[in-house]
Amino acid sequence: MSFRHSITIVASPRQRVGKTLVARLLTDFHRHEGRPVTAFDLNSGEGTLAQFLPEYTKVSEIGDIKGQMALFDRLIADDGATKIVDLGHQAFESFVTVASQIGFVTEARRRGIAPAILFVITPDRTSVEAYRGLHSRLPQAVLSPLLNEMLGSAQHRDKYPTKGSGAALVRLPALAPGLRRYIDQPPFSFSDTRLANARDIPLDVHIELQRWLRKIYLEFRELDLRILLADLQSSIRL
Amino acid sequence: MAKPAVIIVGADKGGVGKTTVARTLLDYFGAHQTPTRAFDTEAPRGTLKRFHPDVTEVVDVTLIPDQMKIFDTLGSAQAKVTVIDVRAGLLSSTLQALSDIGFLDSAKKGQITFAVFHILGPSIASLQEIAETARFVGDASYFLVKNHINETSFFEWDPATYNHYFKQIKGAEEITIPKLNEMACEQVELSSVPYVSFVANKNAKGAPANNSFVLRGYVRHWLGNVWAEYDRVKLIDLVAPKMESDIPQAAS
Repeated sequence: MSFRHSITIVASPRQRVGKTLVARLLTDFHRHEGRPVTAFDLNSGEGTLAQFLPEYTKVSEIGDIKGQMALFDRLIADDGATKIVDLGHQAFESFVTVASQIGFVTEARRRGIAPAILFVITPDRTSVEAYRGLHSRLPQAVLSPLLNEMLGSAQHRDKYPTKGSGAALVRLPALAPGLRRYIDQPPFSFSDTRLANARDIPLDVHIELQRWLRKIYLEFRELDLRILLADLQSSIRL
Repeated sequence: MAKPAVIIVGADKGGVGKTTVARTLLDYFGAHQTPTRAFDTEAPRGTLKRFHPDVTEVVDVTLIPDQMKIFDTLGSAQAKVTVIDVRAGLLSSTLQALSDIGFLDSAKKGQITFAVFHILGPSIASLQEIAETARFVGDASYFLVKNHINETSFFEWDPATYNHYFKQIKGAEEITIPKLNEMACEQVELSSVPYVSFVANKNAKGAPANNSFVLRGYVRHWLGNVWAEYDRVKLIDLVAPKMESDIPQAAS
């Protein structure tokens, strides 16, 4: 499965765990790599992906069948774009139900796309069970736990085994304290080249931000490569 | 050579989804490589024929020439299974006709496998018809089909009343057809293709179609559930029992 046809779903049944931040970073990462990107936003309220990156984001619905068609048909469409889904906590259950009923992952795989789920891990039981549920409900998806280091210690990571070839734990490094306020005002793009000037971001903050970005981009790139490699290996074996 | 099987799909009322059930049956037998033919009694223009034109013939079961067309060919036809979609309100009279021509006797003697799919409608009349048809079908496999596809409201029947009628037919089994999303349902109607073709994204001529993946997914999921019901009642064993030689001999 090539880079050009990846689908990454950022998910958690919890709110305020950093899903939208991860989706923003992913979208900007792919743009930074020079790929066309379409992001799908399944959130409501303030500070959504659609507000941060309006140009690249489609506000999506999962409640009715028209919304489901607009979302899933578009996700598997062969339009050459990399797809990101910011799966809001309220839409989590419906998304997984619909995806498993309509055979979304199987169909995507048939079309040469390996959908990956980045699951933001937290120690609570709801999340652990939702994660375990994904194993059985979307068995063919690449399931990668994402550790948001801003959420604290990682003692619970054993409860989140990876699943699918190429899956690995992805780390979102903690952002230096005090930097958060610079990136929390939508609209905002990390790949904006005029970041330093346009946003009144002091130079030292800018350097620190770039350093942080490089770390997370490295994590994303590694995950992409692992999935690609796993796929190449399986096709060689055939 | 397995004996021929006749499956009658009927209801006393229109609009309860007889043809839907007949279509899922044709798809089901197709998936099990069981040659099947169908007769559509909605003369002159049949709905079933629209979806399965290759295997369907439109007939009028009340006419003798058409009865001959169906029943005199049972042994000689290539298709082992014959599905008859009986027009609304004709179930009892069709069974009466079958009784008159001695078909039910052949079924009784075991020369023919005979099954009735009685699609239940929302009114109490359809329950009374169970009583009416019960006297004909002593030896048939009788399936009472609750069709939820278009979400009618009759499933709040009083269970006591229902059981009273249900028990009049010995060995009757219940089949539940789950609901299919309206829009998915409508798209299949518009495409005029069998469900399996819709799922495979093909048009009536077998060329690639452009159906929504979400709708196809819903139809596949739904059809899978319907077939699971047919599997549960061992429908394929009923109409096409395995040859003796296929059964692995147990080492004694």
